[in-house]
Amino acid sequence: MNAPVFLIYGVLLLGLTGVAEYKGWSWNRINQQRVLPKSIRDNPGAYRSSYGGYSRYIGGK
Amino acid sequence: MAAVQAKSISCPNCGGPVQLRGFAHTLSVVCPQCLTVLDASTPQVQILQTFQAKQRVNPTIPLGSRGKIGDTQYEVIGFQVRGVSQGDEAYSWNEYLLFNPYKGFRYLTEYNGHWNFVHVESALPEKSRSGGKVSMHYEGMTYLAFDAMTADTVYVLGEFPWRVRVGDSASCEDFIAPPFMLSSESTSGETTWSRAEYMTGSQVWQAFRLPGSPPPVYGIFANQPSPYGGNVGSSWRTWLWLNVALAGLIFLFMFLSPGRVAFSDHYAYSQGVKSDSAFVTPTFALDGRNSNVELSIHTDLDNNWAYFNFALINDQTGQTFDFAREVSYYHDSDGSDGSRNNNVIIPSVPSGQYYLRVEPEMEPGSPYVRYELELRRNVPNYGFFGVAALLLLIPPVLSTFRKHSFEAARWRESDYAPTSSSDGGDD
Repeated sequence: MNAPVFLIYGVLLLGLTGVAEYKGWSWNRINQQRVLPKSIRDNPGAYRSSYGGYSRYIGGK
Repeated sequence: MAAVQAKSISCPNCGGPVQLRGFAHTLSVVCPQCLTVLDASTPQVQILQTFQAKQRVNPTIPLGSRGKIGDTQYEVIGFQVRGVSQGDEAYSWNEYLLFNPYKGFRYLTEYNGHWNFVHVESALPEKSRSGGKVSMHYEGMTYLAFDAMTADTVYVLGEFPWRVRVGDSASCEDFIAPPFMLSSESTSGETTWSRAEYMTGSQVWQAFRLPGSPPPVYGIFANQPSPYGGNVGSSWRTWLWLNVALAGLIFLFMFLSPGRVAFSDHYAYSQGVKSDSAFVTPTFALDGRNSNVELSIHTDLDNNWAYFNFALINDQTGQTFDFAREVSYYHDSDGSDGSRNNNVIIPSVPSGQYYLRVEPEMEPGSPYVRYELELRRNVPNYGFFGVAALLLLIPPVLSTFRKHSFEAARWRESDYAPTSSSDGGDD
């Protein structure tokens, strides 16, 4: 890759990094974005998390 | 060059016409009909040598062709094939003799599609050493020893300013400083030094306005300039400036994304206490532009794990960001595993009033865990900067690797190759 092409590549990369930072992008997967009824605030147990029911033992040496 | 009438003589062997383009400079000429080498230094043309070529060789650039190299127009007046035979390996190259009445003689050599424009030097280079290698110093440049061979003339055509003979032999040494090459030719106590500059086939074809395309190029030639040589330095310079810009970007986002704490509180979770199992926090404001939110979890876990289901919910619109994190920390006398803390960055969260729904889980029978939740708005994601820094490294590293690969391929052909004990110098 010659220097002008590298420069364009670098500027685009830094531009993308800047956009990612400004927009607040993240590597983390946030699976669910849904609209909930306001009653959840009064009855938090009624909400069913898409990650709920975790009971697997992972840690330990 | 103005059109000049070539002098013509008759071959004493076959009677065929033989043209002389080099005038008084020509000492020998080859009859194009019978390939007899004639002495043209006297009006009584005499036979110097008769030879029967197994196969006629047609020069790729025909004799009599005229071409402009630099500012000077040259005419091709002679052609010879020179060969080297070393052990079970034999190879040959072509040499064209060029003539200009004012500038004299030059040579154009061709091997495997690689061309060199050669000028015989009158000054002597000085022998030296460079980086442990034998080298020659000439006109401010250092030429590294590349190879040495004994070259024989195996075919001749046209005219020459010396008494050429098929079978003439010379000891040759080549020293390189791409795109230049310094060569010595020694015959019976006389050594001639010449300097060559690499040319591409298309440059030669353009100079002589030859039809068709030049012979295909094979391999890497001794003084072939590396196509990556100049790129490497400029790539690393560009890389340096891009990293300066990246550092500026990091500083910019340290101001633009200060990571202001939007919410923080301490909690405890104990299995069997229903009020702890799922709850919501008070509302808090996430203001400013659409940006990320970082949730940090700090626990006092000890040889245990906890799992947290989270939902970040917009109090006005009900928009929900659903995610979960596990925290586990184990340790014994051999060391530790995991961490008491964890964090997650929720991307592109619009501004508004939010609350957090939290639902911890633990192994049945576990003791209670105390934990702190902290939400920060607009945090710099240093992972992006790290990835950008790594991606910026790819082009200069690639250029450097390709340059070294090119040079390694070049020096594999040398008598002075670093690995000559295993794969040997070829030519």
